[in-house]
Amino acid sequence: AGEWRIVPSSVVLTSFQVMSRVFLIWAVTHSVKEVQSEDSVLLFVIAWTITEIIRYSFYTFSLLNHLPYLIKWARYTLFIVLYPMGVSGELLTIYAALPFVRQAGLYSISLPNKYNFSFDYHAFLILIMISYIPIFPQLYFHMIHQRRKILSHTEEHKKFE
Amino acid sequence: MFKRQKSLASERKRGLLSQRATRFILKDDMRNFHFLSKLVLSAGPLKPTPAVKHSKTTHFEIEILDAQTRKQICILDKVTQSSTIHDVKQKFHKACPKWYPSRVGLQLECGGPFLKDCITIQSIASSSIVTLYATDLGQQVSWTTVFLAEYTGPLLIYLLFYLRIPCIYDGKESAGRLRHPVVHLACFCHCIHYIRYLLETLFVHKVSAGHTPLKNLITSCAFYWGFTSWIAYYINHPLYTPPSFGNRQITVSAINFLICEAGNHFINVMLSHPNHTGNNACFPSPNYNPFTWMFFLVSCPNYTYEIGSWISFTVMTQTLPVGIFTLLMSIQMSLWAQKKHKIYLRKFSSYIHRKSAMIPFIL
Repeated sequence: AGEWRIVPSSVVLTSFQVMSRVFLIWAVTHSVKEVQSEDSVLLFVIAWTITEIIRYSFYTFSLLNHLPYLIKWARYTLFIVLYPMGVSGELLTIYAALPFVRQAGLYSISLPNKYNFSFDYHAFLILIMISYIPIFPQLYFHMIHQRRKILSHTEEHKKFE
Repeated sequence: MFKRQKSLASERKRGLLSQRATRFILKDDMRNFHFLSKLVLSAGPLKPTPAVKHSKTTHFEIEILDAQTRKQICILDKVTQSSTIHDVKQKFHKACPKWYPSRVGLQLECGGPFLKDCITIQSIASSSIVTLYATDLGQQVSWTTVFLAEYTGPLLIYLLFYLRIPCIYDGKESAGRLRHPVVHLACFCHCIHYIRYLLETLFVHKVSAGHTPLKNLITSCAFYWGFTSWIAYYINHPLYTPPSFGNRQITVSAINFLICEAGNHFINVMLSHPNHTGNNACFPSPNYNPFTWMFFLVSCPNYTYEIGSWISFTVMTQTLPVGIFTLLMSIQMSLWAQKKHKIYLRKFSSYIHRKSAMIPFIL
């Protein structure tokens, strides 16, 4: 919705988030069946669900120009707890899936083969986990910065009313 | 692959260039005297008359403001009529030492385009006092440095893998087997490719003395070095599998590779000829050299030949990562070629429209 300018969020950040969610659902949780009974799955599913309900209510009310302060506050405050919760759930799930991936050689190609290519899904998952380290703080502090900007604007508005 | 060569002419000089191009290309029509006389008569004034027409002032005063804060940084006086933006930047640096000429972007108005170094003050001035806005463009590196870093890296990295530095491959496996000749051939071809690039950067290309942000250096080096490590790993691996069709596949693609390399070289030499670079760019025309006949079919044969080289290399080694690298390079080069093709179409009104940008008859 960002690229068609319906809502003012950036295409890059949103597509990043969508891709990471799709990856986690299909490439990890669905593919490695043993991981589906883990608690970490419950953790990120709850975090995502609550976040999305609030976010889409925010967008809907914004488009209708009747945004209750509570929704705006919830969107820009609850992430402080929900975002780390979601990320921990995701990381724990990937970590739990690792031994099963290695054992089954899931989605991996090894040398020698006709096209001289190899791919180790186990190493790839570890790389993904490591990539959370630079990316997560950036997104988190971006949201905190947004919070300060948007919620303080509303405070000022209220003072002058 | 020197898309960044500034062969763009400013809009004002378009008339002059189309005249030159017409002269070279429409030779048949020149026999028509009527046409010739029309041509001569239409060679009227080509530059729009500057606003300061017959002013008696011989010096300009330039006030430089910071683009972000709108505060005045300094005033340069006694700027002569024929000075260019380049001279202004030098004077600015002398007056305020912390503004280096290569890091400054000067605009006529905030948010407008950055003025090129070759533009004269007279052409943009509307009075004898000119106001310019200065922006700091950040740490810059010259294009030559970028190219040298980009091409030396892959050369050395591939050799590291080829020489089988112990920490990369398993020692026992590599010591055991004899390597297929195609591995040696691939190393040779790869080195030729990058050595040629380096020599061309140093001796052939007249890269405009421009600069680019440091970020560009880092991203392009990361791209080239990363991909070279990836492809070198597989080609020099002990478990490398030679191509399926054996020697026939290898020989044909090796010959094709050499042809494309030669072609690319001759095209680059031709493009760096004084007639074809900078603001006097006129479209290069094919000559006796068969490699330049590609100019009949495409606008940017240097890209065509380069993609040809990489495709041959892929077929020669039959390695998927090389194919992926070739695909990414082709996409990037086709974007550059399309841009350049549009510029040629716009600049030379008598340009032959059947030519394609990069691949003959397609694209």
